[in-house]
Amino acid sequence: MVDWNEQRHWSDVREGDALAPVAFPLTVYRLVMAAGANRDFNAIHHNTAHAQSTGAPEMYANVMLLQGMWERTAREYIGTAGVLLAIRGFRMKAFNTAGDTVTVHGRIRRKWIEEAEKGATDPARRHRVEIEMWSDNGRGVSVGPGAIVAGLPF
Amino acid sequence: MPDWKDDWAPMVARVGEDFAQDGEVRWGVDAIDASALRRYVEVLEFDCPLHQGTDAVAPATSFATFALPAMWAPGEAPIFTSGARDAEPERSPLKGTRPQGMPPTSAYMATDFEVDYIADARLGDRLGRRGNRLVQCEPKETRVGRGAFTTWEYEVINQRHEVLARCRFSMFHYVPHAAADRRA
Repeated sequence: MVDWNEQRHWSDVREGDALAPVAFPLTVYRLVMAAGANRDFNAIHHNTAHAQSTGAPEMYANVMLLQGMWERTAREYIGTAGVLLAIRGFRMKAFNTAGDTVTVHGRIRRKWIEEAEKGATDPARRHRVEIEMWSDNGRGVSVGPGAIVAGLPF
Repeated sequence: MPDWKDDWAPMVARVGEDFAQDGEVRWGVDAIDASALRRYVEVLEFDCPLHQGTDAVAPATSFATFALPAMWAPGEAPIFTSGARDAEPERSPLKGTRPQGMPPTSAYMATDFEVDYIADARLGDRLGRRGNRLVQCEPKETRVGRGAFTTWEYEVINQRHEVLARCRFSMFHYVPHAAADRRA
């Protein structure tokens, strides 16, 4: 469980720090819930027969579910005072199918002060980190490696 | 013998074109409400307090969900017109833009996404998608089929027309190999 009362600060972050990985078991049940939740009703995400007719081995997770996994993993690191600023290189290179467990990983690639944000209303937008992000399943990396750019309180 | 990629030439020629006419906004079906927000985080088991309560902020990755139009609305023609087990709806906003001249394809998938987040969305906000510029169209054969990767740029805005995000989204529209074999 994440203690949301604890807040990480930019000054605490070191390049190379690893985020706590988060595992997301993908059951048929969960994929159906995801379709209802994020409204990606494309049948490739909840109908095995249809998915296989399009060349996939099995029904597979949709883009919004996979993006949400990255957001949760990054948010658990940057805390409630952190700011999510960008997602880069979110490339779905392999299917994440029912029966897989997708695990999201992250590592601090760099940290810097964004001078263009000097005087920003929210100082967290100025103290930035680039987090290398990727998802893997039983067959290797399936999403990314890409990045999330975030801001943290100093 | 013409190459199958030639069929995509009209789309390739339209790279750079904004398919949203005159700044048209394609609005999401509903304002963000607590139930929809709860369902979005529930499947992720995402318990961040930012996304709970009466002043909840929507997860940034949920913008695409809340900017989606309705599958069907009163007064529109039916979308479920076949009783076949795996029949697809007649229309779906998920299929993306399919301009006249785009070769017929039977399958599609999202492939890439990049976004810059500018501002938050909150309970009660209604999101929409403004602009729809084709910035890439690359015909390609992959292990699942023949088609083309298309990349589109657009903004997500709220009901005050404030920009919340600038997005670049890529899809692969294709004819699956099995279907292509049947046609041959």
